[in-house]
Amino acid sequence: MRLLVVEDEPDLLAALSKALREEGYAVDEAEDGEEALFKAEATDYDGIVLDVMLPRMNGMEMLKRLRKTKKTPVLMLTARGALDERVRGLDLGADDYLPKPFDLAEVFARLRSIIRRSAGEARNVIQLGPVKVSMRLKVVSLNGEPVTLTAREYSLVEFLALRHGSVVSRTQLYEHLFDENEDSLSNLLDVHVSNVRKKLGHDFIVTRRGHGYSIEA
Amino acid sequence: MNWLPTSIRWRIQVWHGLLLLVVLAGFGLTALELQKIEMQRRVDGQLGIVLSYLHDGLEMGRPGGAGRPPERREDAVMDFLLGVPLDDNRRPLHERPGGKGKGKAGAPPQDFKLPDQHVAKFSGPNGFYYATWNRDGGSFGRSANTPADVARPAVDSPGALAVTWESRGVNREAFLFTPPGECLLVGRSMSADMQAIARMAWWYTGIGGIVLALGLAGGWWLASRAIRPVEKISAAATRIAQGHLSERIDVKNTDDELGSLAAVLNDTFAKLDASFAQQARFTADAAHELRTPLTVVLTQAQLALARERGAAEYRETIESCQRAAKRMQGLVESLLELSKLDATTKPDLRPCDLATISRDNIDLIRPLADEHRIQLKSNLQPTPCSADQKRIAQVLTNLLSNAVKYSRAGDEITISTHRENGSALITVADTGPGIGSAHLPHLFDRFYRADDSRNRATGGAGLGLAICKSIAEAHGGTITVESELERGTKFTLRIPAGNQSSQC
Repeated sequence: MRLLVVEDEPDLLAALSKALREEGYAVDEAEDGEEALFKAEATDYDGIVLDVMLPRMNGMEMLKRLRKTKKTPVLMLTARGALDERVRGLDLGADDYLPKPFDLAEVFARLRSIIRRSAGEARNVIQLGPVKVSMRLKVVSLNGEPVTLTAREYSLVEFLALRHGSVVSRTQLYEHLFDENEDSLSNLLDVHVSNVRKKLGHDFIVTRRGHGYSIEA
Repeated sequence: MNWLPTSIRWRIQVWHGLLLLVVLAGFGLTALELQKIEMQRRVDGQLGIVLSYLHDGLEMGRPGGAGRPPERREDAVMDFLLGVPLDDNRRPLHERPGGKGKGKAGAPPQDFKLPDQHVAKFSGPNGFYYATWNRDGGSFGRSANTPADVARPAVDSPGALAVTWESRGVNREAFLFTPPGECLLVGRSMSADMQAIARMAWWYTGIGGIVLALGLAGGWWLASRAIRPVEKISAAATRIAQGHLSERIDVKNTDDELGSLAAVLNDTFAKLDASFAQQARFTADAAHELRTPLTVVLTQAQLALARERGAAEYRETIESCQRAAKRMQGLVESLLELSKLDATTKPDLRPCDLATISRDNIDLIRPLADEHRIQLKSNLQPTPCSADQKRIAQVLTNLLSNAVKYSRAGDEITISTHRENGSALITVADTGPGIGSAHLPHLFDRFYRADDSRNRATGGAGLGLAICKSIAEAHGGTITVESELERGTKFTLRIPAGNQSSQC
């Protein structure tokens, strides 16, 4: 999963990004509204964490413009708890909001929730044959036995599981699993896919030559 | 007056009722008294006439006085007064033809007897009675209805033929002494008249009671009408007190006293409302300003605690927390400063020279300016004035550090002081990037920032210029700004110079 975190306070931006990376997300950063809009329009993020008060272009304006082209789930962070601002943010197309100061645990939970819902999955647990993906705990189990996956491997499984039944291209996978700073070597993805197959069964991820990968429903 | 009801309406009603009662009672009692006096005067007149009639009788019985019969007219008056029964010819019944002129003169005064004709008249129903005494004090005749206790009046020097009136119990009496010394007395019971007066008194009481009741009802109506706007005001004030600060009194008639009171109150409420709103906004802004650094601390701490970290990472976290704490500290200090400025009305004014204050401040800021390669220039003319030196220095520090913060390397900052039309001026001008004209009107608002961002790069919470403005206003002065993009910004602090002479 790849996120964009937009926050003008450098210490907060650094902390948030680091925390989200440790949660297994690929995280891009932006410090002002214009940069955020540029990145959000150029990349299909799985979610955006957006501060309202931003230099150059504030979060509301950025969201308004983004919604003309993209449906990316947006979690707004606002220092003003005022009702009208929350209402305005939600009306402009934010999927959720969180008033500052917040708990990291709540940021994680709300992000999981908006990403899941945008993929059309209301539940936290996806069952795919013998494999169960529990998104809250970030745990995958095979026939009831927990399987140890690296963060990147889990992200790959979760991304495909949320889109099970449809084909996901390699480009898409690259975009969602690696952030802007990573030098995405093309065989890195194949390594991850092969490792997941070793742990969850060879047929769990199906290769569609020339198209990409998929998990059958 | 604790026993009085607290409601104004009731108090008005009580006073109004008391006043009405006093007026009515005074009026009734006066009328009754006048009536009593009038009645007595009437009775006295009657008694006088009767007495003179009796005297006539005496004169008739006196030697030499005989044969002068009372005139017919006088007789008839007596018949009417004494209530003598009349026959068909309107002649007294006791005056049978032939019965008249019986009283024969010539008898010695001691044996004097009133003529029968006179005596007979006193048996009438109007209650008149008489008593007579000769000059030795012996009675020589009294009517049958004369009260037994009627005695010869004791008068030291009886004036001849002077009539004296006296009241004895319910009876009114008149008497006179003839020149020879006989005493004649006539009297009449007043009980019937008193009863009439008493009846009249009851009538007055009754009518007075009705008038009082009507007056009270009218008063209540009037008081209610007069009180209604007060009730409206009170109801509106109650709603406002309950927290509906936007509530106002519905004023229809602004010309009367209560209308203007309501207008004044509305004005006050509006000002209170505005200041409450300002306070609320200020508090919200302050809370908001604290939230961002607080979020940094919280997030950094939670992140650091999520798992075991290396020493470098912990160090980073602590540094970041310290930065956030410093921001909060700065903010809290600014807030305290502002609330202090809001609370104190008068600054501590002492004679000082703005040029001296400026020089000190320039020295303080110079290291920072040098670090940013910004040139500091000054044009300081002696500018004596009355001011709070510490506060003015605070304004200067603020303006100078802002100028340094927003200027670029190679820019110039010029500080000048001078006097102008009785004002003392300090200007801080820079050749920095300038401020957009849209921001200028709000620059001195609390928490206003030209940039929506509040990050560490530009620092501050937007309170510095608000503090400067508060200080300027506390001195009775102003602080203004002129700016042009890419040309620079000029702040001018202008305070009254006071009575300091420009020579010193």
